[in-house]
Amino acid sequence: MADAAVNTGRDLSCICAHCGAAISAAHFCPECGKIQMLGPEVDHFQFFDLPRKLNVDEQALEIRFYSLSREFHPDYFMSATELEKRASIERSSRLNDAYRTLRDRIVRITYLLSLEGYKESEKKAPSDLLEEVFELNMAIEEIKAAKRLGDADEVTEARLSLETALDNLQHKLGEIDGKLAQASQSWDDAVDQSADQDRKTILDRMSELLSHRSYIRHLVKAIQEEL
Amino acid sequence: MAVIELSLSGQPKSPRVVGIDLGTTNSLVAYMSDTGPEVIRDEDGNGLVPSVVYYENENDQLLVGEAAREALIFEPRKAIYSVKRFMGKGSADVQEDLSLVPFKIVPDSEHVIGFEMGHRVFTPPEISAFILRELKKRASRFFAEEVFQAVITVPAYFNDAQRQATKDAGHLAGLDVLRIVNEPTAASLAYGIDKSNDAVVAVYDFGGGTFDISILKLRDGIFEVLATNGDTHLGGDDIDNRLITMIVDDVERCFNRSLSESPEMFQRTRKAAIQAKHQLSKDDHAIIEIKSDDQHKEYRREITRDEFNNLIADIVERTLVPCKQALKDSDLAPEQIDEVVMVGGSTRIPLVRNKVKELFKREPHLEMNPDEVVALGAAIQADVLAGGRRDLLLLDVTPLSLGIETMGGVVAKIINRNSTIPASAAEMFTTWVDNQTGIDIHVLQGERELVDDCRSLAKFTLKGIPPQPAGLPRIEVRFLIDANGILTVSARDLRTNQEQSIEVKPSYGLTDDQIEKMLLDSFEFAEEDVLKRQLIEARNEAETVMRAAEKALGEHPRGLIDENEQLEIRRAIDDLRQTVGTDASQLIREKTTVLDEKARHLAELIMDGALVAALKNRKASEVAEG
Repeated sequence: MADAAVNTGRDLSCICAHCGAAISAAHFCPECGKIQMLGPEVDHFQFFDLPRKLNVDEQALEIRFYSLSREFHPDYFMSATELEKRASIERSSRLNDAYRTLRDRIVRITYLLSLEGYKESEKKAPSDLLEEVFELNMAIEEIKAAKRLGDADEVTEARLSLETALDNLQHKLGEIDGKLAQASQSWDDAVDQSADQDRKTILDRMSELLSHRSYIRHLVKAIQEEL
Repeated sequence: MAVIELSLSGQPKSPRVVGIDLGTTNSLVAYMSDTGPEVIRDEDGNGLVPSVVYYENENDQLLVGEAAREALIFEPRKAIYSVKRFMGKGSADVQEDLSLVPFKIVPDSEHVIGFEMGHRVFTPPEISAFILRELKKRASRFFAEEVFQAVITVPAYFNDAQRQATKDAGHLAGLDVLRIVNEPTAASLAYGIDKSNDAVVAVYDFGGGTFDISILKLRDGIFEVLATNGDTHLGGDDIDNRLITMIVDDVERCFNRSLSESPEMFQRTRKAAIQAKHQLSKDDHAIIEIKSDDQHKEYRREITRDEFNNLIADIVERTLVPCKQALKDSDLAPEQIDEVVMVGGSTRIPLVRNKVKELFKREPHLEMNPDEVVALGAAIQADVLAGGRRDLLLLDVTPLSLGIETMGGVVAKIINRNSTIPASAAEMFTTWVDNQTGIDIHVLQGERELVDDCRSLAKFTLKGIPPQPAGLPRIEVRFLIDANGILTVSARDLRTNQEQSIEVKPSYGLTDDQIEKMLLDSFEFAEEDVLKRQLIEARNEAETVMRAAEKALGEHPRGLIDENEQLEIRRAIDDLRQTVGTDASQLIREKTTVLDEKARHLAELIMDGALVAALKNRKASEVAEG
């Protein structure tokens, strides 16, 4: 129990609600073996016994998710006490939530930022894209107008230019994802080396990349709706 | 036929849990045998119980199943079918569905629909409960012990209110509903139980009233739903209706009667249309044949399969939209689906099979009986819940996003669709004005942005917040979608760490009080209970009348009535005594009446002259006792 507190910098101690033993944030009481109610202080990484790092072995995570599901799922607590039933439903819903968050790189980064005190990234246009974005919005308006007027030639022309723009944006998204992967690696390195001074820079960078990403995705969606 | 199981370990045997498929058209009950899941059948080997309920005036009793379905043709005004379409809905939701069925809903059905049957009003959960009761009876007879625990399946795309209504129906039928399971998921269990290989499976479930698609990953006994989608207003009923619409004008002209004014004629037309539909799944043409009551007039029309395909093409096409959405949501291309499993009676239609094959680019599996596979899967899940096995685990998802109303009528999503359940979300709430003691939370389900476009689930009121300056209270509200896909909400005042009381106003469906009342009513009304009660009442009355008559015979002053009359009374008493031990309540009543009549004269004579006139119309029993 003391070890857990030292390792994570948090006090994860709690009391087994079934037998009263003092335990760490374990899923099951080591004394009586019963499923535990959730402690409030455990984040998704801790829940999966993972360090707060961004490169996650997604296959291993899935296997862990399945094996924990087998331990927590309410199906297996049908004839248990009310307390165990509650713990089972709490813990399995939490497991599902944690898995949903950690299995996807983007959701994982977003979650890390929120843990580190960042607000949800607003959609923001990358500066090198500002001009293109302006033209794109014009093109979207044009195709809308052409559709309204039933001008087939105009629609075809506008569609072509939108398709080119779409390719361009998809490429840009790929670039951003690459940069996010790089930043993720930097973050993991900083955690390993306890390089706390680098952390803020990396988080800022990821936060910016995410807001660009969501901006572009929003654009892509708008274009796809018109095509 | 009945199975009696001995517990060899000496442990108390865990109670039976059966799996029930409560369908729009047919319902089934299944159980887990030593060799695998089995449908429980009647003496004739039928597993299907038609989901039809019919009220019979004469004996004040309900018929359910095949008998009700037959009665539907002759007395359609007293029968309800396809009730599943109305579960968890208000009158505004069902105008389209009502155009498909000949019955009407009673006024004042905004929150829960009411149907009139035999001068009584029933809600959809009550009608479903009659069907469930029939299945429960069938299972109890089979096991020679009462079955009271069940898993019931629902369409995967059912919303919270529809699921709750199904659970309520189980409760009303005297069943402890251990789990509400999604139909396509149940089907995947039945399909995948014997398979050891990992696979991605799509279950295409096209039933009588609803359509579902679910995509699952099967791995090491875990059945993980990746995405689900559907349409709860799309099924074989719609196809039947197309056929009916096609011929309605000709039929009306032929018989010179309007179908909307003649439910009998409508049912006959519907039956003929359904027969033709079934025929067209086997042959390339069918004859629709309808005869008048007196058999003199006849309507006949041929329909080819091509014609039929054209007629229903858009309906089948509509099922592909949810399929594509589910593929997108699970981030899979059609080529990545290893197997396609077909479920529901409507998948017998060749056009449906072709379209599914086209979309998924592979031959769908047809080896499972599409009518039974869901019930079999429910039986497997029932076995898991009964503690029978731990090697299987269903990880299902919530089909619709859950949100709360925010400023400007916008919905903020708190749990996204296709989230694995149980799923939960916590939101912080505070007050807007000083000393505010309550907070309203409006919870909705759906994918759209605006409140008006989503489905209202309930309004929750946080009550009893201590008066404080605005913005100071911190109330954490937890929204939990349980393994049944049903929402529960709890709240905690973070400053005091006290549980916060919540008042729930469901937007649709029954309140707990209404259910309690229905439970009481249903005891009076349940077919079996009614018969039992009628018998007990008949016997009681017979005993009372016999006692009174004997007393009168023994005490009467000599010469009041002649030998002949005495003999007749004695004979009537003996006659009744012989009948009273039987179960024929109607006969007991008749013979009681006979005795009562015969003894009346004597009773009147015994009474004081002044009383005679007043008591003329009263029964001998009352006279003698009173």
